[in-house]
Amino acid sequence: MRKRNIVRRLMAASLATIMALSLSACGTGDQNDEIIIKEDKEEKTVNLFSPMEKTDSDAENIARNAFDETVTIAEEKLGVNVAYRTYTAEDYQDKTYDDVTLDRARNDMDDIYMLNPDIIQKLGEEGLLLDLSDLACVKNLREVVKTANTVDGKLVAIPQEVVAYGLFINKDMFDKYHLELPNTPEEFLECCRAFKENGIETPVGANRWWLETFVFAQAYADMYNGGDTEAEIAKLNSGESKYSDYMRPGFEFLQELIDKGYVDAKKAYVSEAIEGEGDDFLAQKTPIVMAYWGAANTETAYGKTDFNLQVIGFPSSHGQMPVVTITGFGIGTRAEHLQDAKETLDVVLSDEALQIYTETNKVISPSKNIEVECIPALKPLNDRIEENVYVLASNAGMKLEQWGNTCLVVRELLNGATVEECMAELDRLQEETLDK
Amino acid sequence: MKRILKRSRKDRGIPLLVSIIIVFGMLCVIVFSVAGKISAEMSASAIQNLSESLNLIQCTIEAILKNEADFQKLIAQRVAAADNPIEYICVYERNETMVKLSLILEGEEEGVSNDGSKFTEEDLDFSAGGKIDDLPVSKSYVNYMGAWAYTVKCPVIKDGEEIGTLYIEYVYDSLDKSLPNGFYNNKAMLYIMDAQSERLVLKPKGMGERSAGHLNLEDFYHANDIQDRELRGKVDKCLKKGDNILFYHDIRGKQSLNYMWSVNGGTIYLIGYVPVEAIQQEGRTVNQNIFIVVSVMLTAFFLCCLIYYFNQRQQNRIRKEREAEREQHNKQLAEALQAAQLASNSKTMFLSNMSHDIRTPMNAVLGFTALLNMEAENPVKVREYTKKIMASGQHLLSLINDVLDVSKIESGKVVLNFEKFTLNDLVSSIDAIIRPMADGRKQKFHLEVTGIKHEYLLGDETRINQILINLLSNAVKYTQEGGNIWFRIIGLKQRSSQFEHIRIEVEDDGYGMTAEYLETIFDAFTRAENSTTNKVQGTGLGMAITKNIVELMGGTIDVDSEVDKGSIFKVELELRIPEEQADGQFWQENGISRILVVDSEQEECENIRALMEESGVLVDTVSQLEDALNILKENEEESYHLVLVEWQVQGAGMVSVVKKIREFIADVAPVLFLMPYDAEGVETVLEIENTQVLSKPFFVAALKEKILEMQGETREETVPEEEECSSLEGLHFLAAEDNEINAEILSEILEMEGASCEVAENGKLALERFKHAAQGEFDAILMDVQMPVMNGYDATRAIRALERSDAAKIPIIAMTANAFAEDEKDALDAGMDVHMAKPIDVELLKKIINKYVQGKE
Repeated sequence: MRKRNIVRRLMAASLATIMALSLSACGTGDQNDEIIIKEDKEEKTVNLFSPMEKTDSDAENIARNAFDETVTIAEEKLGVNVAYRTYTAEDYQDKTYDDVTLDRARNDMDDIYMLNPDIIQKLGEEGLLLDLSDLACVKNLREVVKTANTVDGKLVAIPQEVVAYGLFINKDMFDKYHLELPNTPEEFLECCRAFKENGIETPVGANRWWLETFVFAQAYADMYNGGDTEAEIAKLNSGESKYSDYMRPGFEFLQELIDKGYVDAKKAYVSEAIEGEGDDFLAQKTPIVMAYWGAANTETAYGKTDFNLQVIGFPSSHGQMPVVTITGFGIGTRAEHLQDAKETLDVVLSDEALQIYTETNKVISPSKNIEVECIPALKPLNDRIEENVYVLASNAGMKLEQWGNTCLVVRELLNGATVEECMAELDRLQEETLDK
Repeated sequence: MKRILKRSRKDRGIPLLVSIIIVFGMLCVIVFSVAGKISAEMSASAIQNLSESLNLIQCTIEAILKNEADFQKLIAQRVAAADNPIEYICVYERNETMVKLSLILEGEEEGVSNDGSKFTEEDLDFSAGGKIDDLPVSKSYVNYMGAWAYTVKCPVIKDGEEIGTLYIEYVYDSLDKSLPNGFYNNKAMLYIMDAQSERLVLKPKGMGERSAGHLNLEDFYHANDIQDRELRGKVDKCLKKGDNILFYHDIRGKQSLNYMWSVNGGTIYLIGYVPVEAIQQEGRTVNQNIFIVVSVMLTAFFLCCLIYYFNQRQQNRIRKEREAEREQHNKQLAEALQAAQLASNSKTMFLSNMSHDIRTPMNAVLGFTALLNMEAENPVKVREYTKKIMASGQHLLSLINDVLDVSKIESGKVVLNFEKFTLNDLVSSIDAIIRPMADGRKQKFHLEVTGIKHEYLLGDETRINQILINLLSNAVKYTQEGGNIWFRIIGLKQRSSQFEHIRIEVEDDGYGMTAEYLETIFDAFTRAENSTTNKVQGTGLGMAITKNIVELMGGTIDVDSEVDKGSIFKVELELRIPEEQADGQFWQENGISRILVVDSEQEECENIRALMEESGVLVDTVSQLEDALNILKENEEESYHLVLVEWQVQGAGMVSVVKKIREFIADVAPVLFLMPYDAEGVETVLEIENTQVLSKPFFVAALKEKILEMQGETREETVPEEEECSSLEGLHFLAAEDNEINAEILSEILEMEGASCEVAENGKLALERFKHAAQGEFDAILMDVQMPVMNGYDATRAIRALERSDAAKIPIIAMTANAFAEDEKDALDAGMDVHMAKPIDVELLKKIINKYVQGKE
């Protein structure tokens, strides 16, 4: 009896399936009309210039970039399409991303630009960036962000993360040679000497972009930590004091690193960030490199090492010193889709979006409302930042743009210029700026 | 035969299965090949489609370039026509397409741009020789706007003479607006590559992807893992030649069709890929639909098969059930036929037996009657003959009773009459009947009662009697002279406290029975041997009746027997215990609270204890006389009120035993000897004062009766009274009897007893006669039942209904051949006082008349 019931049920189920399949197979939709009219949808578009391509939202098996996710939120909320325009330099002879950004911004090619600190300052000074102070997200921002990106009283760019640079240390190698983590430039040199003696050819891996962080740490350790920051900046802006005076120890320090062979200047001069020095660091041939916070979280950078990774501040008179730069998104004053761009940026920088971004990338959020626990490797650096010990490598309040210019001067040092020549170049730049 | 059938079914099943599999296999092959063909066709058509799409994009771009070139030529003409070409250039304002206009006059190294800046050809690379409509085009570069651009140069010719060169810079971004917003449902990737620099100079909107590589061709290869040197070599060759190339390669685990599509003779390439699944979407949809259709058809087919299979199975089952039913039916019919034949045979045999059995006593009756007629003068002979006639008549009557009993049982008319009875009475009456029979054949009759807890029981005593007499008389009959008969009543463990569970065993060491006969012993109309050839006579119905009665009482009967060794019948019955069993009052009234039992058999002692349990009397038992005397001595002060001595323990002789006992108990206390019926020396016991004999087996009822008897309240005095009253002297009866002979016999018998009777031929006449009779003329009415005109019942009712003072009182005695219990009930219901079965038993008639007629007086 029971068996028969099962058979009956099976039959009923099979019949139902057949019906369903037949119906679905016979379904033809609504396309019965002979005339098909396809309406062209008016799409709101916002053009974004950034170094990275957009992730295809339909693509499978691709971990979506945190930034893309925040953009998607904006697209869904506002019904806009954010089109990415990108540029990546093929090699060091190519125009850099920053160069292209400047050109594009000056020619109003895009609506939103992803800007590095030096470009923020340049475009800000040129008046090509919109004042973002009236965006709703501004009220959540940390002061440091506002300080760094305010040009002539206008907040011209807002980042999704506060970028802190630090020294990435192979702790195992330090332990192997019984070396303490360095706090001061002297200690750092001592460590390098020890590594060199132990057969480590180049103790510090470097590229053409980030060596300046050593200079900033030593130059502004006093100014940003206990000094009268505003007064000192005012003196620099008026020409009363010289940037070269601040930066000389750092340049001399770099010169010593180069002279003693702790840094391969020639290699560094043509190396792109991480690409040049990363392999040796991961292969434990180099115990020290410099990089930004996010590199410790990114598998393509230093997110997955075979050794005990520690991220500490740069050596300075105030001990280990994190170097903070503030990048940001800016909107061109003559942007084609100005209003849409503003609305989009407001969503992308809202606490809701920043929460996702910060959690995904495990970075320091520009919003004071968002805090995320960092990975153990970043703890030494994070502790210092939490103690409010850091220097700014970019400050739009300083008339002489720091991040880009210093980088170029350091490159000259790498290219064989003396410290004096570099100081003279700095003085020239300062004068040139003040003359404007 | 069945096996062959099964095999042939199997043989049929396998080829059927194979052919189904083959058909399905073929169907699958066809479906797959069709699906494959569709896929291939769709794929080819998709490639065609892709080529067309790419062609379209190619043509669009080429058209734009052509327009640009044409326009540039036009501007060159205008420049040539202008009075001041440099001024003409400077006036131009850039637009979205042409972002920079420059002019270098013939013979000069440096020219000027529309923004007024100086212009040289130094930064431009025309080395690749690419042309748009005969105008040289430069290698792509990132221009002052940060956008990918190219410059086309065009000679400015005035009056057939080249006066300079016009350079116009175009940005790739301007192409974007003319290109589609993605194709293949945005699944396709597309970049525009400058062939010379191999840089990806434009990603049309909606056609890029982060992982696709967006820097240059190498980046594209790297990001999409196109590392096969041979493949890359071929692709590079095509790129150099400006050919179009399509190749399959997996992009992130998905098979994709990659393309490098030449534009403008190979200066520009469209590069990208489309996942094959996106191309073959239509083919896949068609295949899916084919699959759905095939699945539905297959499912439908399987369902049909399933339905067919279950239908077949059901039909097979029904057919089998029917066959089984038919077989069962046939079997039953055969059995019924056999039974009918057997019954018919049995009944034929029975009739033959009856014929013989009835004729034999009838012959004796008639023969002796003839002899009587001749020897009427010789009183000795007359007595002898009448005695024999009587015996034959009795035998005839018992035969008739048995036959009637069987027919009654078989027609289910037997009604059990439950009444309270004592085992004591039952055993006594059986003993009284069977012992003389056994004695007559010099057989020893052993009577044993054990384990009985209740001797007062509810049951149909008469029917139990019938069972026991049947079994015992058979035992006597079928046991040789000098054999042994055992009659046991055994109390079994009670299944319910309300029922006494007893087993009755009748055993003998007689002839025994064969195994074959045992099988039919309880069937009606069978006898151990044919009565015509055997000395033992009977109807052969006894055992059938016995079994039927036992079963009617809810009991069982079993038999074991062996030829020449004897038989044992076991009847198990459960008899209800009447509620008012205990009778402690009797013992109190008679001052008996302690009894001493002296019996060497432990089992007997236990029996007595068990039976006395509910009386409330303390029973002590000892096995030796010495022990008994000791106990009596010890308890002299609280002496026993009664001593029961098993006669075999007396040893020294009963008189001395009693004397010894009397030393310790009161003189009036009864001493009873427990003796079998046939024991000797009873007389000696009876001579001793307050000493009596109690027949074995022990029953409380018998003991109570004996005590009453010893206390002088015996029924002995009533016996002579009965004898006194047994005369019918002077009584006058009215008899309603239609049969003349019966009427005559009745008249004669009554006359012999000194009474007189008036006969009415039917009920009506009797009624009339009584109606007109004087008050007290008749002492009683003897009423036959079956009579013409008016039957006995109606007549009785009519008499009782008469308005005469004696109509209700006059005893009416039913005298009828309707001898069943129901008949008796009917008679009593009709208003008769008592029922008496024919033939007339003179003694019984006298007893009844005394009771109802003289008792009243």
